[in-house]
Amino acid sequence: MGTLNASLNIAVGAMVADQTALSTTSNNIANANTPGYSKETAELTEAPAIQYGGFVLGNGVQVEQVTSQRSSLLQAQLDQETQHQGQYNSYLSTMNQAQALFNETSGTGLQSSITGFFNSLQQLSTDPTNTSLRQGVLTAAQNLAQGFNNASSNLTSLQQSANTTVTQTVSQINSLTTQIAKLNGEVSAAVSTGQNASSFQDQRDQLVNQLSGLVDLSEIDAGNGSLTLTTTGGTSLVVGTQSYNLSTKASSNGFQDVYSQGSDITSSITGGSLGGAIQVRDTTIPSILSTLDSLASSISSSVNSVNQAGTDLNGDQGGNIFSTPPSGVTGAAGSISVTLTDPTKIAASLDGSTGDNSNLTAMLAIQNQASVNGQTPLNAYSSLVYQIGNDVSSVQSELSGSQALSTQLQNQIGAVSGVSINEEAANLIQYQQAYEAAAQVASVINTLTATAINIGQTVTATG
Amino acid sequence: MGSRVNPNVLPDLLDAINQAQQNAQTAVQEVATGRSVNNLSDNPGAAAAYVGTAALSSENDQYLTNLTDLQGKYQAADSALNSAVQIMTTAITVGTEGANGTVSASNRQALAQQVQGLQQQMLAIANTSYEGTYIFSGTNVTTQAFTADPSSPTGVQYNGNANTTSVQVSEGQSLQTNVAGSQVFTNASGNVFQALNDLQNALNSGTGIDTATTEVQQAFSQLGTQRVFYGNALDQVTNSQNFLNQEQVNLSSQQNSLVGANLTQVIAEESQAQTSEQAALAATGQILSLPTLLSFLK
Repeated sequence: MGTLNASLNIAVGAMVADQTALSTTSNNIANANTPGYSKETAELTEAPAIQYGGFVLGNGVQVEQVTSQRSSLLQAQLDQETQHQGQYNSYLSTMNQAQALFNETSGTGLQSSITGFFNSLQQLSTDPTNTSLRQGVLTAAQNLAQGFNNASSNLTSLQQSANTTVTQTVSQINSLTTQIAKLNGEVSAAVSTGQNASSFQDQRDQLVNQLSGLVDLSEIDAGNGSLTLTTTGGTSLVVGTQSYNLSTKASSNGFQDVYSQGSDITSSITGGSLGGAIQVRDTTIPSILSTLDSLASSISSSVNSVNQAGTDLNGDQGGNIFSTPPSGVTGAAGSISVTLTDPTKIAASLDGSTGDNSNLTAMLAIQNQASVNGQTPLNAYSSLVYQIGNDVSSVQSELSGSQALSTQLQNQIGAVSGVSINEEAANLIQYQQAYEAAAQVASVINTLTATAINIGQTVTATG
Repeated sequence: MGSRVNPNVLPDLLDAINQAQQNAQTAVQEVATGRSVNNLSDNPGAAAAYVGTAALSSENDQYLTNLTDLQGKYQAADSALNSAVQIMTTAITVGTEGANGTVSASNRQALAQQVQGLQQQMLAIANTSYEGTYIFSGTNVTTQAFTADPSSPTGVQYNGNANTTSVQVSEGQSLQTNVAGSQVFTNASGNVFQALNDLQNALNSGTGIDTATTEVQQAFSQLGTQRVFYGNALDQVTNSQNFLNQEQVNLSSQQNSLVGANLTQVIAEESQAQTSEQAALAATGQILSLPTLLSFLK
């Protein structure tokens, strides 16, 4: 048999539970637009029944727990895409500038300098004794050397800016891992005392997502709410409440290598904006520079050796027109210069007579010789143009693919964790009505209690 | 109960607006530049092929310049040889007149002097220069081709060489630029200076005038043969110019199809992008102003 007091307790318990549910709803609505917020739900359960006399009586409602709605799988997939986008964006920010250096369709690039040099030789072949045409050859040679120098120095400064990205990104990574380690502590503490860790988890998810944009991550659930983070290469970043800082140190080529606890991990970083910057700095631009070096070295040494084989306007044997390329070719594009200053020393003639242009013909033939990695100079250059364009274009496609996937994942995450105002409004009404009903029950019980107290009394007790 | 959807539709809507704006921007850029390839990555293959066509086009421009230079040189040589032929015609007339038995000794002397004058003119012609270089001295272009030399049976000495040069006038085609003076004026099968010298001597002595005149005629026809070279060369210049001009038109149309924008298509794309942008904006506006359940709670 139930008692009035028991009923009152049930009603008050219901009001408390409804208040908790209302407060959860209110928090959801308040955070409807908070980035990273996961919708919370107050889980109502029946209170354990009690046995009274021969009856099993319900004992009202209670809030089991307030849980947040999240999918760690979807979040990890989103982090993965964020990592790809970080890498692609970092790659493209540099390579979009690099491809502009060779944008032949808008008139920039080396084609006109290469062709211009050979055209000046053509022009001289029509009148080999003409000093102004000879000067024209030297000017065209200087333009060519200048073209190589500019391309090389522009690429080197793009490498420098990628290098700056590396050091900046490393310090951002360190700041994020420190915060994540701290949040690991907060989450674990809350979980171990059975408290709601949701807001800490939301913050940590946000920071891990930001970190994914910077470096390739492996996320391991260490239990007890703690998250262990390493790079995909296995370098520890966060373990429990301990974060491991990355550092940078200048390598022999002047660029900053990335170190963790004393070891160089530069080549093991493959993703995030750090991975993208390292890829551009250490692989993509060096490969372009190396092609330019081969091109510059091949043209200058071929032209020099042909000029040496001929006779100049003074009847002397010819010498070098360009500076001798460095042995091993590396740096040729940056260092090529025109060393010949006296236009009469261009060796146009083979038979020694002033009007002979046979050696110019030999020099012109360089244009059609497969002297640069098995290709003619112009074809080698045109392949380079293709390669740069194609590299950029494929990364652009991958980026837009990844962006589409991210949008999809964000929608899926939103479907799990997002706050719907309509849903919350419905909850609001539901809990409001439940609260009102419980309050009404309490009021009725109160009246009944007064009635019971007043049994046999002449004076009416008021409730 | 249906499956839950993402309650936050804003990112999707903003994406749609951004996409439409990006498409419009691309189209505007294409219209502004007239090119569909504005970055290498827009079409790497076309950008690389463009390098080849641009180089060819620039080389062709150079070939056309070479041809204009050659044309000037050929015309100078041809016009010099034209004068030389006229001199030889005059010499034949003089020889024929001198061979006539009725002509007096003093008249013969006068004719001989006329031939001497012709000889001097011929020397000047053989030393014709074009833009500072001698046309008829082989590749010794800075050396005067012929100098007068009374001790020589031809009356002149050749200071040039027998070499010739060629200049490239299109991919794989070269034109010979000169004929050596030794071949034009002192050729074994018709020596112009020797013939004039012999005629002068014959007129002075009054013997062998017929033979000397025949020799002049031989030299005359030899000169004509050599002149044919320049006539042909001038024809080749014209042919090559026509070929290259056509080639330039082809190249420019090739370049246009590689990287040029199809304006009709681009403008259609632009207006399409504008339409979808407006649609996305309208949709966003409507969705954002939709009432929620809260709006109906009184």
